[in-house]
Amino acid sequence: MAKIDTLKEEARKLLQDGKVKYIIGYGAGSNGWPAAPLFIKQPEDVDKLIWDPTCIHNLVRFLVDEKRRKGKEKPPDKRPVGIFVKGCDSRAIVVLLQEKFIERGDVYILGISCEKAGVVDDAKLAKKLAGKKVITIEVDDENRFVLTTAGGKIEVPVEELLAERCLECRANFPVIYDVLSGEKTKRAVDKPFGSVEKIESLPVEERWAFWKEQIDKCIRCYACRSACPMCYCDECVVDSIQLAVSADTTADEKAGRIKWIQRSAAPSENMIYHLVRAIHLGGRCIDCGECERVCPLDIPLRLLNKKLEKEAKELFDYEVGFDPDLPALISSFRDDDPQDFIR
Amino acid sequence: MEKTLAKKDFPQWVKKLTSWKIYLPKKDAGGRWNYAEADGEDVLETRQATLPPKTILFPQNEILLEFSKSRKGNAETLEVKEVLPPAEPTVVFGVRPCEAKAAWLLDEVFASEPRDIYYWMRRENTTLVGLACTPPPSDNCFCTSVEGSPHAEEGSDILLTDLGDKYYVRSLTAKGEALINAAKGLFEEAKPEDRKKVKAVHTESEKKIQRELKGARAVSEKLKTMFDSPFWDEEAMSCLRCGICTYICPSCHCFDINDEIIDTTPLRGKRVRTWDTCQFPDFTMHSSGHNPRPDKASRLRQRLLHKFQYFVQVYDKFMCVGCGRCITMCPVGIDIIKVLEKVRDHGA
Amino acid sequence: MEPNVYLPRLAKIIQIKEEVGGARAVKTFRTELVNGGRFDYRCGQCAMLSVFGKGEAMISISSSPLVKDFMQFSILRSGRVTAALHDMEAGDLIGIRGPYGNGFPIDDWKGKNLVFIGGGIGLAPLWSIVQTALLRRKEFGGLSLIYGARTSADIVFKDELRELKSQMPVHLSIDVAEPDWKEFIGFVPTNVLDKKPAPAGTIAITCGPPIMIKFVIKNLKDLHFEDEQIYTTVENKMKCGIGKCGRCNIGFHYVCKDGPVYSWAELRTLPQEY
Repeated sequence: MAKIDTLKEEARKLLQDGKVKYIIGYGAGSNGWPAAPLFIKQPEDVDKLIWDPTCIHNLVRFLVDEKRRKGKEKPPDKRPVGIFVKGCDSRAIVVLLQEKFIERGDVYILGISCEKAGVVDDAKLAKKLAGKKVITIEVDDENRFVLTTAGGKIEVPVEELLAERCLECRANFPVIYDVLSGEKTKRAVDKPFGSVEKIESLPVEERWAFWKEQIDKCIRCYACRSACPMCYCDECVVDSIQLAVSADTTADEKAGRIKWIQRSAAPSENMIYHLVRAIHLGGRCIDCGECERVCPLDIPLRLLNKKLEKEAKELFDYEVGFDPDLPALISSFRDDDPQDFIR
Repeated sequence: MEKTLAKKDFPQWVKKLTSWKIYLPKKDAGGRWNYAEADGEDVLETRQATLPPKTILFPQNEILLEFSKSRKGNAETLEVKEVLPPAEPTVVFGVRPCEAKAAWLLDEVFASEPRDIYYWMRRENTTLVGLACTPPPSDNCFCTSVEGSPHAEEGSDILLTDLGDKYYVRSLTAKGEALINAAKGLFEEAKPEDRKKVKAVHTESEKKIQRELKGARAVSEKLKTMFDSPFWDEEAMSCLRCGICTYICPSCHCFDINDEIIDTTPLRGKRVRTWDTCQFPDFTMHSSGHNPRPDKASRLRQRLLHKFQYFVQVYDKFMCVGCGRCITMCPVGIDIIKVLEKVRDHGA
Repeated sequence: MEPNVYLPRLAKIIQIKEEVGGARAVKTFRTELVNGGRFDYRCGQCAMLSVFGKGEAMISISSSPLVKDFMQFSILRSGRVTAALHDMEAGDLIGIRGPYGNGFPIDDWKGKNLVFIGGGIGLAPLWSIVQTALLRRKEFGGLSLIYGARTSADIVFKDELRELKSQMPVHLSIDVAEPDWKEFIGFVPTNVLDKKPAPAGTIAITCGPPIMIKFVIKNLKDLHFEDEQIYTTVENKMKCGIGKCGRCNIGFHYVCKDGPVYSWAELRTLPQEY
């Protein structure tokens, strides 16, 4: 398992030398597990940093906040922000670079490899614990999760508790970083789109029934959008008003803004919201699974994005988030792009 | 009125309530608990539903009125039709005492003049049957820290206490009595030993609460001095600005009102009240773009101050019942107890 | 059956006057309820106007409560609802519910001098009390108005202001110089310092953009006005108008219900979140 000690020292040095504004990492969660995002400004606080399989969050999402904050600073503090990333998270940085939302110099990337494991799925873990409280979770040399509880240790093969996305991950180490902890080892994946294929195999009526039931549950708390590093738009079609209003925005611009989606959490409106979000993430989603994890109603949102990831791969041989110099899928055209979809 | 009901007779009671629409906590296919309609196989379990029964008293979407335009020759007429909630008697079984207490808090908001007729029609038609929590339904329950208890009676029409093979049934209102009278034969008079047992169960249940916020009233006072503190910037760093904490909260009641168009020619639509949240930036943004709460810090501060300072100033009650949902469900681990503890100890 | 507070009454627009054109257009609407007349209200109170299909907007009532046959609203074209109102014509129907808020404590001000300080569309809520003070002229001491807008074209109530000059001193300003402008050039707070209203026996009432209000209050303090002598009306985004929807609060006050009128003595004790 990757060790965090070298990264802690790196973080300490960065802060001591004033090379970064602050560091975004993981700290202990308020009630044991999972971990929680931790923001560190002082070198003496780096000992609060942790790394374990409950470091689920994609911290790249906080770069969106940072960009907004920097926009308001006078004068802006242009130092980079230090950020801890797993493999999937690093691919989110790649997409933000491709889209020129951030520049490489905006971030100092402290990469951690998941090696042959990944992060745990809260629900699977809770089920395994059956009410017991977990004190620590580690990965041992035989690639098992070791759960330490007050009543002793529980050992489980990682596959049993891993988040679904980790089971389908094709690069469980950072693809871009300034320092890296851990080995660039890949876990064998038989079916990278296994979860989607299961749904795809259903008849259309059953698929519709499945999604209808799921989407009807939505309460439009927008946690999926809020947790997503790719949902960085200042203006989102689902907001009741236009948020990017300046002193120069005319009344007609505000009044003429089309209400694509009504505020009522009605099935039709929920469906449009989730479809719009899914389509906007086509060729951009790096499958960090945060949307699905944060959903209070357990809507399997990841499947929608995974489907589009699969389309991008099969139609355009495009894999998201590996090359910052590659043009983004949506904004590029190649002569040999398939055209069947136009017919 | 104090009775007992054999547990095995609970489904009978539900069946006898033919003129009521009945909800109770049920597990869905995905293993999640919700307040769902009774289906003939009804038992009570002490589990926390994702969404509190607020969804029944204060639904996420409520049509306030409908409007339509029509044209006869050159004359255009505009018709506005009031749409009131259906007046159907409803029972919610298995309400957590904290959730019933939340209804009692919502009563304050919606009762203050002028009364909110939509809320009140639902409230007056709904009978809340509380179930004392033994043991607590979640690891983050802290009702005893906010002047509540696992057997609180505020807001409930009946409070049930699980005595093993039977429920102790304490009716608190006329609505509660009507429910018992509808199935009279199932109930027995409570005996002194039942009463004694209830007391013991209640005392025991308080000890099972695992989390605590010491000095909540002091926090309330301290908050008055914290408005301009940079503290909120630090605490809100990890906030995602989603609406989970407020939407799943039993006492959060903020709402939006919008016109939703069904047809444009001729115009036909409805005015709808929907849940809203202080955590969204558009909640307070003026038309000019000016926003009195422009960042996550000011919005987190609003949520906590509303619950622990402003509401206390107006009603002398906390607008938090300590159900712990916002702690359990926050995607980034923002813990209202921890934040308030930091407030309490700030600068000490 | 108790009344449904969310149900607006239908009202007819009986007259529309264009005050300001262009990008920051202002129009004044006179309305009467379809069932006749208007409801009772106090100076400084607001009403929720509906354009069905667009929504509602909280607007201050700019006519005097002493005028019985109509209610007047002066509205800046700013968002979805106000733009729709601007596109309406005399004879069109809107919805009105209210009145909302506390209003000015005008009866407490008998015998006092009143100085009105407005900026831009902020003159609208002041207009109700300016008109009322004129109609009850004998009850008050000296009256004066300090009013400014970004440009001369943005000045509202141009005809009325010309007429008002015969009844009280009117000090106008615009933000930047224009040819032919003979009055003050600069922001409203600066004009206040220039005109130096005397604090003795005086109440200053100000309304305008939040930033203007903040500096007007500061400058009035510099002129030795006591906190109790300064009044303002606050505006925040509103939806219900009755202290339930939770968005317009400053501290434990809901502006729609406990405001919008505040003395600085009271407002300064609340969080400055407006």
